[in-house]
Amino acid sequence: MRSWRGLVGLSALLTVTGCAADAELDTMNPQGPLAQEIDNLLQPVLILAYVVFALVLGATFLIWWKFRDNHEDEEFPKQVHGNTKLELLWTAAPTVVLAVLSVFTLIVLASLNDREDNAISLQVDGESVTWEPEVVVVGQQWWWEFRYYLHGLDGVDLSDARNLPPADIVTSSQMIIPIGQEIELSATSRDVIHSFWIPALNGKRDVAPGRVHPWKLEADNPGVYFGQCTEFCGLSHSRMQMQVVAMTPEDFQSWITEQLANPAAPTDEAALRGQAVFEIQCTRCHVVNSINGETSTGADLVSNAAPNLTHFMSRTTYAGGIFNLYEPDGSLDRTQLEAWLRNAPEEKPAYAQGRRGMPAMGLSEDEIDDLVAYLTTLGTSPGLSIIEATEVE
Amino acid sequence: MTDTAVETTRPIGVYTRPKGGGGWRDWVTTVDHKKIGILYGATALVFFVVGGCEALLIRLQLATPNGTILGADTYNQVFTMHGVTMIFLAAMPLAAAFGNYLIPLQIGARDVAFPRLNALSFWVFLAGAIFLNLSWVLGGAPDGGWFGYAPNSGIIYSPSVGMDFYAIGLQITGIASLVSAINLTVTILNMRAPGMTLFKMPVFTWMMLVVQLLLVFAMPVIAVALFLLIFSRQFGANFFNTEMGADPLLWQHLFWIFGHPEVYILILPSFGIISEVIPTFSRKPIFGYEFMVFSGIAIGFMGWGVWAHHMFASGIGPLSVAAFSLSTMFIAVPTGVKILNWLATMWGGKIKFTAAMLFAVGVISMFTIGGLSGVTHAMSPADTQQTDTYYVVAHFHYVIFGGIIFGLFSGFYFWWPKVFGHMLSEKLGKINFWVMLVGFNMTFGPMHTLGLQGMSRRIDTYSPGFGFELWNMVASIGSFIIATSVLIFVINVIVSAVKAKGQPHCGPDPWDARSLEWMTPNPTPEHNFDEVPVVESLDEFWHRKYGTDEEGRIVRVATAEEVCQDGSATGVHLPSPSYWPLVFSAGLPLVGLGLIFSLWLTIPGGIMMVGSLFAWVFEPVDDPDGPHGHHDDSEETATEEAPVV
Repeated sequence: MRSWRGLVGLSALLTVTGCAADAELDTMNPQGPLAQEIDNLLQPVLILAYVVFALVLGATFLIWWKFRDNHEDEEFPKQVHGNTKLELLWTAAPTVVLAVLSVFTLIVLASLNDREDNAISLQVDGESVTWEPEVVVVGQQWWWEFRYYLHGLDGVDLSDARNLPPADIVTSSQMIIPIGQEIELSATSRDVIHSFWIPALNGKRDVAPGRVHPWKLEADNPGVYFGQCTEFCGLSHSRMQMQVVAMTPEDFQSWITEQLANPAAPTDEAALRGQAVFEIQCTRCHVVNSINGETSTGADLVSNAAPNLTHFMSRTTYAGGIFNLYEPDGSLDRTQLEAWLRNAPEEKPAYAQGRRGMPAMGLSEDEIDDLVAYLTTLGTSPGLSIIEATEVE
Repeated sequence: MTDTAVETTRPIGVYTRPKGGGGWRDWVTTVDHKKIGILYGATALVFFVVGGCEALLIRLQLATPNGTILGADTYNQVFTMHGVTMIFLAAMPLAAAFGNYLIPLQIGARDVAFPRLNALSFWVFLAGAIFLNLSWVLGGAPDGGWFGYAPNSGIIYSPSVGMDFYAIGLQITGIASLVSAINLTVTILNMRAPGMTLFKMPVFTWMMLVVQLLLVFAMPVIAVALFLLIFSRQFGANFFNTEMGADPLLWQHLFWIFGHPEVYILILPSFGIISEVIPTFSRKPIFGYEFMVFSGIAIGFMGWGVWAHHMFASGIGPLSVAAFSLSTMFIAVPTGVKILNWLATMWGGKIKFTAAMLFAVGVISMFTIGGLSGVTHAMSPADTQQTDTYYVVAHFHYVIFGGIIFGLFSGFYFWWPKVFGHMLSEKLGKINFWVMLVGFNMTFGPMHTLGLQGMSRRIDTYSPGFGFELWNMVASIGSFIIATSVLIFVINVIVSAVKAKGQPHCGPDPWDARSLEWMTPNPTPEHNFDEVPVVESLDEFWHRKYGTDEEGRIVRVATAEEVCQDGSATGVHLPSPSYWPLVFSAGLPLVGLGLIFSLWLTIPGGIMMVGSLFAWVFEPVDDPDGPHGHHDDSEETATEEAPVV
């Protein structure tokens, strides 16, 4: 009897599965219509599941209480061998319930696989283009790349992810999208299978080499939505993260405009020295459009790609979305960035000897200082509201 | 007839069969299904503890954010080996232990159809298990997950020898499963006692028959997949090389076409066990025997049509997703039928809540949770939020731990006296149950919440601030409570054995049981039945003890002692022991090591295998000097001969 109470208490504890308010990856806090549809499908079934479990557990306790052997006599209970009607009933009843669930499942499934026509107008290099919001998502160990083809994906061959056609905008760690628009994703991988997942905006979709998987996202409100690679992809799987930054159409247009231009060339001494270091040490893998954007022949890595750093400072995270580039007050988090440049594998496990992940470059402290000075000239800060939203308390 | 010829033709040299002689020699040469069952059980329990220790390491690492107990690389190896160990080296061989020991007894046979093959199954399994774990000291354990998705399992992305050990090791244990499955299928179909029609077989035997048939068809699929992986890694084949036009989803399909039936391979033995335990302690026959059997068969068939529900997020296309969503929904039906039939069996009974019964009731409620979360996975849009999160980890641990481990423990408590002739302590057993129940729910209950909060699977660490801290800590504490419960079980085993030393064996029928295995004394004598019983009804043993009076009341017509055989038969012809299954099995890991490290090693391995097969064929059917040798002039009580193949 004592142990009963323990069980009841425990199940009560487990029932209190309220999700914490600060859970940025919460799957039950939808922030867009797609995630909302999924949530609407799941919520009633969770309640149904609680009810069914309560009935089974209740029946068990009732049986326990009612039919336990109290050693009054040696009489056998009535020997019942079965009851066909009853058994047919409890075969049919769950079948009917599950059939109903199936119908709703199929409706939501169909809806999530629709592709909506929602072209928007963008100013690109001074002219107006009609853009069906679509982003090419490319996974590789252990970061995400986002490519924007502003003239549409017709005729863009995505079949070889290691050699993709040049895009108008190439960024990493953070995908920027306009709010209120369904964003079509074409997702692929440059090495192993990864999974792209922004719980607040939709479920997940694996990306696989040699395949282009369609998926989509939509956010109702401006904000930063967190994600995590969810298909085991090797050593630093847990450190392969990403964020979606949703903006108003106006902010999105400004972001596009900014990304399409090259940042001003550095002028100060340290930054110029840093650029020299960058050209010698970093351009084997990384791309900065104004330096090796035209001539990049691919990175010296298994995935054939490293993050494009042209507008490095316009993102708030780096190294697979795991480090904050800025302090909460908007200043550069120099310590972390220097540590990363000093010895990347120490900060994030990688397999540099197998050309997977950033190696320790063996830079001197002076070179690191110069490199930081150069990197800070690459683009401008996205503003405090986004910096603050990237902080995880 | 040919008796004299056999007696005078002494076999030569190496081909003599082992003489027995007691001690360890008996165990390494045995072909007795009971000893093999015990070997399976003991080995599997050791690996259960090994896999459990790996789980504790995982929980220590994840107890707090930014855990530093295991590095990322070690963590990946530990979680891979936890899965591999628990599924292939603990749960499957534990089911094999029960199957080996009980199936011949439940169908009234003297042994399995192919006793030497049975020994081979065990030794090959052990060889594979040791081989897999050798990877820890020979260059690193597998690090690509138990599911080994391509291309991450390929040589570029997993350059250590770990995945080679995985591919070859699972190939070896797969041979064991396949051989054993064929053996037990033939045994069940061909060796039932007179009168035991298929629909008089105990539910456990029925479920094991379904399992064996699943194994027969599922193991070749994983074997093919593993060969593709071995060839890719060892010989540069391009089965998963996308640059050469391969599709990485090929591996997933092959793996899960095996992998999903595998789930039923794991769960059905447990369903069988509790279908024996619940009627016994409810003092009622199983409710709806035919429904139970047919729902098990239905699961066995439908289990082949649901594999892609592991791949809802993999990009297989909406039509496939829709089809597998539907099939997955409806496989819940036969499982639901079983749950309700067990409850109905208990309803109106006079239930003794022994330790075995507690574990069985635990299966009903805990498996229900796993089944219900399974329905939320079947809704594929919802699954895209849940898959590869801790919600899935919670789901399948409620199925595998709540459904399978609880069932196996129920079986331990129930059949311990059958196997060892003494009871396990009921008091410790009940403590065992409650501690395990609390620990289990504390560990895996919160994982539902963690998954819905967005915590991914297979991450070696997590940052503070995502709301994962509390429930991870609770789960980690819970895991040590589970460990405590297993420790209580081990203590129970030891204490009970010590107490039983020098005491007479427990009576023949400690639980007032129902099926044929209890007609033999405890522990079961080497020859099983003095006389093979003629079966007239389901629950034959019970029906020999009880009848009905004129008013239809149940009355005892015979005591258990009268019904049970006394095990005194002598001169029963039994299959002779053999060295060759062990020798053959010992060759396999050598070939495996040879493939990985130096092809020269395959030569001794190959010689051992081929040589032992020759010896196997040529060894005499019989050893005149053996303890159960050819029948002599002494009085015979049984004439049925066990097969000697």
